[in-house]
Amino acid sequence: MATRAWHRTREAIFRMLAYAVMAIALFITTFPVYWLATNSFKLDIDIFAVPPVWFEFSPTLKHYEAAFIGQPFLIYALNSLIIAVATTIVSLIFGTMAGYALARFHYPGRWRYQISFWILSTRMMPPIVTIIPLFIFFNFFNLLNTRLAVVVAYTAFNLPFVTWMMKSYFQDLPPELEEAAMVDGDTRWGAFVRVALPLARPGIVATAIFSLILAWNEFLLALILTQTDRSMTLPVGISGRVTQYTTHWGEISAAGFLASLPIIIFALIVQRHLVRGMSFGAVKG
Amino acid sequence: MASVTFRDVVKKFGSFTAVHDFNLEIRDKEFLVLLGPSGCGKTTTMRMVAGLEEATSGDIYIDADRINDVLPKYRDVAMVFQSYALYPHLSVEDNIGYPLKIRKVPPEEYKRRITEVARRVELDTMLKRLPKELSGGQRQRVALARAIVRTPRVFLMDEPLSNLDAKLRTQMRAELKHLQHELQVTTIYVTHDQIEAMTLAHRVAVMNRGVIEQLGTPREIYNDPRTLFVAGFIGSPAMNLIPGEVKDGVFASAGLRVGGAGHVSIPRAVLGVRPEDVHVANAEDQDVNLVAPIYSVELTGENTLVSLQLGGRLMTLRADKNFAGQIDQRVGVKIETDRIFLFDAETERRVDF
Repeated sequence: MATRAWHRTREAIFRMLAYAVMAIALFITTFPVYWLATNSFKLDIDIFAVPPVWFEFSPTLKHYEAAFIGQPFLIYALNSLIIAVATTIVSLIFGTMAGYALARFHYPGRWRYQISFWILSTRMMPPIVTIIPLFIFFNFFNLLNTRLAVVVAYTAFNLPFVTWMMKSYFQDLPPELEEAAMVDGDTRWGAFVRVALPLARPGIVATAIFSLILAWNEFLLALILTQTDRSMTLPVGISGRVTQYTTHWGEISAAGFLASLPIIIFALIVQRHLVRGMSFGAVKG
Repeated sequence: MASVTFRDVVKKFGSFTAVHDFNLEIRDKEFLVLLGPSGCGKTTTMRMVAGLEEATSGDIYIDADRINDVLPKYRDVAMVFQSYALYPHLSVEDNIGYPLKIRKVPPEEYKRRITEVARRVELDTMLKRLPKELSGGQRQRVALARAIVRTPRVFLMDEPLSNLDAKLRTQMRAELKHLQHELQVTTIYVTHDQIEAMTLAHRVAVMNRGVIEQLGTPREIYNDPRTLFVAGFIGSPAMNLIPGEVKDGVFASAGLRVGGAGHVSIPRAVLGVRPEDVHVANAEDQDVNLVAPIYSVELTGENTLVSLQLGGRLMTLRADKNFAGQIDQRVGVKIETDRIFLFDAETERRVDF
């Protein structure tokens, strides 16, 4: 017999299981961050200690000094920042307009679907496939080892994603608002700028964050396109501390921790938008 | 000051024809209502005037200007949307002022016109609020104010009252009528509510399946319906439409005989008679048209709606508010023979006699 008490016990067991699963997930995601953070403050001897030193070590800023004064990590960080911001701005300018056009205009037959699909299909191949052509391309224009090359390459990869996201946001807006604006005397462009864009602001913010994170974290393209200190991004610079004879774990940890910090803070601030950004389209695709 | 003319206008969406060979002239200062069930093409017709839909073929004129290829902004029309379409991110003041801002009206005049319009629609205390902080009726007023803040050549109203509750709707209806009279601007008004059409319009165009079934004053539409569709659509409760046969001026159906239709003969006919033209009589009277059992009795306050069972259908009549009949009681019915309509069931058109 299923008694009330049995129900209550079963519910308690389920809840405990759920918490256990969450605890494991939390551990898997936060442990590397913890390990990165503590290693960056440890002396080399503590980094390699067996068994590992968990908390009791004398903290040092030696690796930070080595990375940001001894090595040009400040320049890498600046490069990363410029590239991520520029990529996001350029992707957003074109992506919002393309997304709006796909959401609003009439296309004969199934062309709306076709064009949208083509745009998305550029994301379907692994980026590594395009690396050699991109290298030759930028070499031809003498753009290797420039931030511009990285921005162009990142924009090409981010644009489909920005376009699709903005298309979904614009499709959620009622078209009557822009129609009202046009009857009120505005052009299509005016209705887009004065009515559609302000209303799509949450979408633009969410899309911008995704784009920033993607550009900030990207490694492969940057590795191939940049080899000089003046153009290298943080992920490439960090990987450069794995040298032929030794791996500078301290410096890698220091730079890696500082590189991930802005993204973590950013994500915490805009959590709400991220959730909306990831779940939109779930109701209406 | 403007007239609107449709000449052979056709609108197709893919293979579906929404509006068929549409011809209509709306006179200067006229209040014209496009009335019809949903999907009849009335909103599409209006959107073509606004420039939000393109006519597939034919010509649309405002005064003498052909406007088919003119951008909405140059047509100088104002539209009130069913959903109001208020800009959610702008205050009431900025919503009303939007058409003026686009036209770069100087600040003093901008201020003066908004104050004036806001007072007229009684929104002068709410100018700083956002649309989401307003009630349905207030939003409706903002939409209206945005339309009248400039003096357009034509007002377009797409079911502007359909989202209001019944009481507010009646009140706004009167205000709209007064406003149009005062502003003297040509108005095209779309609705599926025949009461709105009857009360507001100078002329009504009844539409069905993309064509105008009948165009006329509300009185003509009500008293002289030319087609079966118009007869059934106008009037509440609806006109009784009873299928049967007409032989030499006498209509006959199950248990019902009505004479007085001259000498016409229609093999498949429909008799139309309004509930107010049917009267209860003593079942024993010699000259009753019908004796039938009462199906239901509904007191509306000012009178009583009585439904009678007639063959497989119901016949409704409007009786005195003191009507005391009971359900299942058999009563006689007299029909005012000079108030009946006969339709040919094949063509769905009226047959005159």
